[in-house]
Amino acid sequence: MTERQSYSGIPLKPVYTPADVAGLDYAARLNDPGAYPYTRGRRPATQEAGGWIQHELSGEGTPLRSNAQFRYLIAHGATGVDVIGDTPTMAWLDPDHPAAVHAVGTQGVSLCRFEDYRELYDGLPLDRITVSHSLPAPFAIAGLYLSAKARGVDPKGLRGSAIQVPFYCEDCGYATHMPFALRLRLAVDSIEFATRTMPKFHAFLEDTYYISDGGLDAVEEMALGFVEIRYIVRELTRRGVPVDSFAPRIAILVNCRMDLFEEIAKIRATRRLFARMLREEFGAQDPRSLAVNVTSHTSGLTLTAQQPVNNVVRGAVQALALALAGVQAIEISAFDEAFRTPSPEAHLIALRTQQTIQLETNVTGVADPLGGAYYVEALTDEMERRIAEMVATIEGMGDPAALCDGSWFRALFQNAMERYARQIREGQLLKVGVNAHRMSDEQDTLLREMAERKFEPCRERVAELRDHRRARDRQAAEDALYRMRRVTETKTDSLMPALVAALEAGATMGEITGVMRAGYGHPYDPFGMTESPV
Amino acid sequence: MRPLRVLIATLGLDQHEVGAVAVARQLRDAGMEVIYLGRFQLPPAIVKAAVDEAVDVIGLSCHSWEYLYYLDELMALLRARGLAIPVVLGGSVLTAADARALEAKGVAAAFGPTSAVEDIPATIERLARAR
Repeated sequence: MTERQSYSGIPLKPVYTPADVAGLDYAARLNDPGAYPYTRGRRPATQEAGGWIQHELSGEGTPLRSNAQFRYLIAHGATGVDVIGDTPTMAWLDPDHPAAVHAVGTQGVSLCRFEDYRELYDGLPLDRITVSHSLPAPFAIAGLYLSAKARGVDPKGLRGSAIQVPFYCEDCGYATHMPFALRLRLAVDSIEFATRTMPKFHAFLEDTYYISDGGLDAVEEMALGFVEIRYIVRELTRRGVPVDSFAPRIAILVNCRMDLFEEIAKIRATRRLFARMLREEFGAQDPRSLAVNVTSHTSGLTLTAQQPVNNVVRGAVQALALALAGVQAIEISAFDEAFRTPSPEAHLIALRTQQTIQLETNVTGVADPLGGAYYVEALTDEMERRIAEMVATIEGMGDPAALCDGSWFRALFQNAMERYARQIREGQLLKVGVNAHRMSDEQDTLLREMAERKFEPCRERVAELRDHRRARDRQAAEDALYRMRRVTETKTDSLMPALVAALEAGATMGEITGVMRAGYGHPYDPFGMTESPV
Repeated sequence: MRPLRVLIATLGLDQHEVGAVAVARQLRDAGMEVIYLGRFQLPPAIVKAAVDEAVDVIGLSCHSWEYLYYLDELMALLRARGLAIPVVLGGSVLTAADARALEAKGVAAAFGPTSAVEDIPATIERLARAR
């Protein structure tokens, strides 16, 4: 008999019994929801039960087209929006950059100016919904802040989040072509800025989703996430920012793959580990600093191009796992994810899946419904042990920043990608439609036509940006960029006031980022195709 | 017989690297020499590297629609320099209809998400030996 194991390689018994939880101290290890160490949930049971923020990752084409997507989802019951940039935006480049023109708006929204953010949020009830951003965080924070002020909405009431990705972005699909020191400084400065100006906003969203969706397992996902969280927390406290001022606004955006119980155990273990770290290592005292907010995105990697309708089922199973784990927000990777950014139909199916789980299954009636189950508690303990051990191993190798610069993490990601491809090729990991229950292309037609629909890049953005550069107050934009460069060169002053001012003065993200790169002795344009205006 | 040399590159701003890395390792394991150019490549740089490295096959990873616009430029550059290096595309966004359109443009082979990945080394070997 082959040994059974979880997806991350934890050996599994055929059945779990009271002996597996014999030593479990309820008060110390579990406790009620809303009580330290928050294993069973971050809020008391009376508040924990009842639902989660329901949103779907959106963004396509121009800011206005994305705004229409948001309105469509909100009209159908979404309680938040989550926006992702197109590939140029995620690379901190403008849409009129010569390397960007064929990618504008096809895999997210094109955003690079203050006006773009105003159009993106136009008419949205910013005081009622949460606005989450998978975008370059300093620009998302500045864009939201300026847009709210322009509309007369108090930034202090804004809710939502922005991903902070200084450690792993260059290796995992969000490459910025900036040195580590600048990436870290931007993360810390933007968190500090938002803590002061937008205190309800989670400006410190640790994104373990994107790092793990290349093939990391659940233990590696959380270990790398904690390494990054710990590094940023240390950096903030080193600067004298009190831990209880920013820790309540740390959130973690986790992945959810198909190993249902392992994913649930991972989230419960993460809450417990986070609470202990913050209290015992970082001296946090405010209970809100210890009870981490967990938000989630179901795994795109687990979806298949074959038999795309199966992806609807995968999204439902993953969302159920997340609901059972008691997360604060869910978004389901749309069924056409393997081919394109979500179509309106795929968005709606994903949202309806969440609504069906919430309203029809009664899983939200009781907090942490799996608490105390022999298997779930044993697995939670083992996940916690393995995550903590890997964090200690990585930190024991020296400064994690040096590991980052030395490509140690890159090697880890590449091995995980290769491992995942091999597991599927060799059949250790079974995927219906891929290496089990296959169909010929001729038979495999259900929803396929819809999934394969293509659309053109938003070339009108190129002309729009050209006009923008011509029409803006050139002196004001150049002065702001010059100040940005000078502040960058101090290596210590916060970058945020100058960044906000430059955006407001009509400078673009590509220009502002370019002068920051130059301030660190790096090329203004990583492709060497455009010139700095200052 | 010298080992086959295969260039692997990803076009434009496409940041997905899972497939390119997996295929690069697969080809290496099959005894080929892989010149891994990586992400953020544009057609002129790809053609230059293909010449400098004397590769037998150019492999392009496509997980965004950018290839639709860069491919014509790449094929034109190859033709202009009289280079008959087979170009192979692989990636999640390539549908069966795309594969047919690509063959019409002179692409030697296209592997979409439903293709059998174990066939990739054999196909590359066949194309290279047929030059």
